[in-house]
Amino acid sequence: MGLSASHGKLALRIALLVVLVVFVQVGVVSEVPVFGVTIELTPLLAAFVGLLCGSMWGALAGFSIGLIVDLAFVQTLGVSSLLFTLIGFWAGRLREARDPQAALTPLAVGVAASAFALIGLSVIEFLLGVEAPVSLLLLRQIVLGVVVNAIVAMPFWVIVRRALRPSLPKDPRRRRSRRAYSTGGLSPLSRA
Amino acid sequence: MHSKTVRRRRALLIGLVVLSIILLTAYFGESPNGGLHAVQRDFLTVVSPIQDGANTALKPVRSVINWFGEVLHAKGEVSRLRAERDRLRSERVAEQERSRAAREATSIADVEASANLAGYKPVSAEVVFETPSSWYSTVDINKGSSEGIAINDAVYNGEGLVGVVTQVAADAAQVSLITDSEVAVAARIAGTPDWGIVQPKVGDPSHLVLQFLHGKAEVVKGDIVDTSGMISPEAQSLYPAGIPIGTVTSIEESAYTSINIRPAVELHSLDLVRVLTEVPGARASRVRSSLASLPSSRSESAESSSTAESAGTAASYAQSGGGG
Repeated sequence: MGLSASHGKLALRIALLVVLVVFVQVGVVSEVPVFGVTIELTPLLAAFVGLLCGSMWGALAGFSIGLIVDLAFVQTLGVSSLLFTLIGFWAGRLREARDPQAALTPLAVGVAASAFALIGLSVIEFLLGVEAPVSLLLLRQIVLGVVVNAIVAMPFWVIVRRALRPSLPKDPRRRRSRRAYSTGGLSPLSRA
Repeated sequence: MHSKTVRRRRALLIGLVVLSIILLTAYFGESPNGGLHAVQRDFLTVVSPIQDGANTALKPVRSVINWFGEVLHAKGEVSRLRAERDRLRSERVAEQERSRAAREATSIADVEASANLAGYKPVSAEVVFETPSSWYSTVDINKGSSEGIAINDAVYNGEGLVGVVTQVAADAAQVSLITDSEVAVAARIAGTPDWGIVQPKVGDPSHLVLQFLHGKAEVVKGDIVDTSGMISPEAQSLYPAGIPIGTVTSIEESAYTSINIRPAVELHSLDLVRVLTEVPGARASRVRSSLASLPSSRSESAESSSTAESAGTAASYAQSGGGG
């Protein structure tokens, strides 16, 4: 991850996206409960940045998102940073190590990220001694939160990908497949 | 190159995680006036105008989304509240029914205690059908011969005398009300030994009239009329003594004194009633009916074997008009 011009553009886009999403989260999304819970765009953003840009970008974006969220929501500093760093890094590593191509990969990643964030937040708050009863209600809130995030995961993935795609590094695999088509060897048209 | 990238990646992850933990620990450990809290407050100071702006700008969007949510919520709430209303309504009806049944049971117990009816083996029954005529002269109850109910058994409720059983099936019986023209009851002015016969008033069957009064008691409006328990000094009535029949409303003096009575029982809204299954007068009446249905030779032998009390009762019964 050298600090080239393309990396600078990507960092700028990620930073703008992070700020925009956090403000939307604070100004709109948090004010509109769905099924009694609020949509959490921030863990999805951390995961999708990792999935699109790799583990290091994912970890950095996750840390930044978490820091801004903790500052904006006046929460214990470091909690969201820790969780979102791990989410972003994990999503990036998934892309780097396995490069899943399934259409529903963002949905699965979003669900896993949301579940990890909600459960992790509860566990950390519990460890910090916050008076929150561990009850079926809490479990219900977590499950509903994951379900609601799963509903918005795919549309949000499209938005994040569209916002970051112009600055994303070229995917060698995608280049290879385009070249293969252009040479005619594997093109379905050439076989026709 | 690859190992360098891996090392850098690991270092970044570890660095960020450690930084997060340091932030967390420092923030959690410091006082509300500490440095990190101050940074948070400053951030909030800088960001809050932007948040306010965003809030204002995005309020219409939020309102639209909220409107959809509230409409959906309201629909769900309407269904829930309707279900709750229906549940409460049925609970209220059930509660009223329980309360009414309790009141009725209490008043029945009072009547039974004052008239000493416990020894006549009363059986509880519910009125299941009223004759759909303006006279309401008969009602059907849901207990019959399987519960020991027989023809001529007296029927009463918590207000007073209702009538007499005139038809019996295994699990049902028909009760002729005291306002039925076929029913006559031996009655007395409560607290006096004077007795007469209560029958429906001619032309106004919803009211009763006490006639053929034996005695010289002074009757005044408002006096209680109850069952006398006997139709002559020797013969017992179908109805044990002391069951309220009604209240004197007026007295008509002519060749005979006629005393108008308003029935104690609201005969248009009967529900729970009690049937006396072991009244000596009713037993004697049934014996007479059996004797009357036998062929003449057998009837004679049966009559000769019946008790002198029964024969006397029959004679007195015939003498007094046959009803009570």
